[in-house]
Amino acid sequence: MVEAMLIAILVGSGLLVLSILTSLVSFRVGAPLLLLFLAIGLLAGEDGPGGISYDYHAETFFVGSLALAIILFTSGFETRWHTLRAAAAPAVVLATFGVLLTAGLAGASAHYMLGLPWLEALLLGAIVGSTDAAAVFFLLRVGGINIRERVRATLEVESGSNDPMAIFLVVTLLELIVAGAGLETVGQSVALAFAVQMGLGLVMGAAGGWLIVKAINRTPLEPGLYPIAVLGSALMLFAVTGLLGGSGFLAVYVAGLVAGNTNIHGRPHLERFQEGLTWLAQIVMFLLLGLLATPSNFAEIALPVIGLALVLTVVVRPLAIGLCLLPFGFRRNEIVFMSFVGLRGAVSILLAILPIIAGLGTGQYLFNAAFIIVLVSLVVQGWSIRPFARWLGVVVPPRTGPVDRVELELPGTAHHELVVYHVTKGSPVAKGHRLPRWARPSLVVREGRSYSLHHAGRPRPDDYVYIFTSPTFIPLLDRLFASRATLTAADQEFYGDLAISASASLGALAESYGLVVDAADREVTVADFMLRQFNGRLEVGDRLVLGPLDLIARAVDDAGRVTEIGLSLARVDDTPKPEPGAIGRLSARLQRLFVGRPIRAAIRDAITNRNGRADGG
Amino acid sequence: MIELSDVLSPGGVVLDLKASSKRQVLRALAERVAEAQGLEPGPVLEALLEREKLGTTGIGDRLAIPHAKLEGLDHLVAVFARLQTPVSFDALDDEPVDLVFLLLAPTGAAAEHLKALARVARIFRDDQLCEALRRATNPSVAFDLLTGRREPRAA
Repeated sequence: MVEAMLIAILVGSGLLVLSILTSLVSFRVGAPLLLLFLAIGLLAGEDGPGGISYDYHAETFFVGSLALAIILFTSGFETRWHTLRAAAAPAVVLATFGVLLTAGLAGASAHYMLGLPWLEALLLGAIVGSTDAAAVFFLLRVGGINIRERVRATLEVESGSNDPMAIFLVVTLLELIVAGAGLETVGQSVALAFAVQMGLGLVMGAAGGWLIVKAINRTPLEPGLYPIAVLGSALMLFAVTGLLGGSGFLAVYVAGLVAGNTNIHGRPHLERFQEGLTWLAQIVMFLLLGLLATPSNFAEIALPVIGLALVLTVVVRPLAIGLCLLPFGFRRNEIVFMSFVGLRGAVSILLAILPIIAGLGTGQYLFNAAFIIVLVSLVVQGWSIRPFARWLGVVVPPRTGPVDRVELELPGTAHHELVVYHVTKGSPVAKGHRLPRWARPSLVVREGRSYSLHHAGRPRPDDYVYIFTSPTFIPLLDRLFASRATLTAADQEFYGDLAISASASLGALAESYGLVVDAADREVTVADFMLRQFNGRLEVGDRLVLGPLDLIARAVDDAGRVTEIGLSLARVDDTPKPEPGAIGRLSARLQRLFVGRPIRAAIRDAITNRNGRADGG
Repeated sequence: MIELSDVLSPGGVVLDLKASSKRQVLRALAERVAEAQGLEPGPVLEALLEREKLGTTGIGDRLAIPHAKLEGLDHLVAVFARLQTPVSFDALDDEPVDLVFLLLAPTGAAAEHLKALARVARIFRDDQLCEALRRATNPSVAFDLLTGRREPRAA
């Protein structure tokens, strides 16, 4: 008995450690990490060399739901308020209508491509209707690329908040099928159930999050207990909301949002704990799902299902996303990119267990189909997202190189932090740039020995510099300690050729370059003019067409005001470009189709034209 | 397409200019242009400084392209200088500048002005060219590099 237990622990922990070790490989070869976890599960399973026979559907669903609740709580906890503010409206539309539309279209495709009866086809559509929070977060954050803020925010909030909708659809459809009812019976009762589920989820989540923060901040606990107390409360909230008939997943996500954006005690500890726990939850979930699958059964349905997966990627998701995002003024390249990041993941496979548990005849078939769709999604999208983002121009090039920094929380103070910088060669500090008065290092560690600033003198490359400072100053310090960014020609074009001071007047700019602007606007500063043209909200990389020139927001402060402006001369440059080859021509043509003219810029251009165009030569 | 040889003459290339500030660089180059074009140096410098108020013309990577519109000019003119010691230009990357391409345009020629600026900005994006300019041993080599008569690799 004891031996069996030890063997089970050995196998489980061995798989866990193996999964973690593969992450090293994943970073090297750029393979999507989650795909590797899934692959290890498959290899360890009955058809792989591992040969583990694992057939516990209900147990897997139980563990998976728990893992998903933890993942959603953490993703809410890590979503900053300004991210939510930038993306709430489009993300909510995507998480509701988007999922409904995707599920419907995917269901219709499944009906015609796989020959499934309507209800089962729609069930499959709902199963693969939501994007995976873990997969999307991982690709957007850990991927090492900086996507334009509003796009990243929308995708993150969408992926965090669309699971409840997909779950609702799956459960509703499953109930219909089990009851032997038809689609025509869907009516008021379903709408009411939806309202109750989501309404309760929202309210319970908000209240629960607030309560968790209050309780944690007031209760003196052993420091090590705080993260566990938060986790326990979140899971309690999940269960209670579910028992009351609400969506527990929505509740934990909302609670995470509330708790993560309030001053909660011991935040760095919480974040570290939850980060680790989320990794564990993801690995366990993917491993179990991989184990559960029987890939030898995939072959007979592989071809049509792969076809369906491609239709889902190329037709269904772009259509749904395009329709949902139409009112929000995204650019064409941004919409194309968001369509492409419709990653399916563990949630879809998890939901695919439900039909099996419910004893549906087509259950195993639906599970296998969902599994293949997720595999295709992880392979195709996971691998291509970085180059695709660059190609579409939704990547914001870094202004500074990487910073090597560690933050330490200090007991008893919320206003100061101890940050440790590793001085990198080529950073302004290493080149002799003075540190401001408020950032006097308390300690300098050089070659393993510590010095006071007085004895260390100027920081040198490879020093570790300890600074007490207010968290608000950290971005400023980052610039001093960052190594130089290497910009490609395309990156330089992103930020423009020349710098224009934000406080310069539009009139002076027009005067310098022979532009025609309204007399009433001449006294306005360039920064205010840009802000007004973009309806009071700018983000880095926004371009304003001004006659033959483009004004570019190079840096934007928290209030959405532009602080550094670039001026691009790209459209007046008539240097002939080298003749592209066949692939280059095709790429350029596709790029014109997908990237298009920025819609807002095009409108602005029309306005500028009407007001009299600048000297066009 | 505007060629730099249309605006820059072999005599407009200075290597190892001695100056210790942005203002000194601009004054020295303004005097040089003014002399060649038979103009007063005062208004030239004033126009350049006025443009700098809009935002620095230091474009990063130790490069600067000061420019302005000027009354009394009938065509675009340019001078190029390599500085003996780099000078702070308040550039965004905080790097002091050692290659300066100065461009002046007649008041009525906004489009040509912009085209020439775009051309200079594009040429300066070529790192190999910039390095070759930093190594150039005499003004005629630098002139040939800038006007495309000599490949950067051969310099």
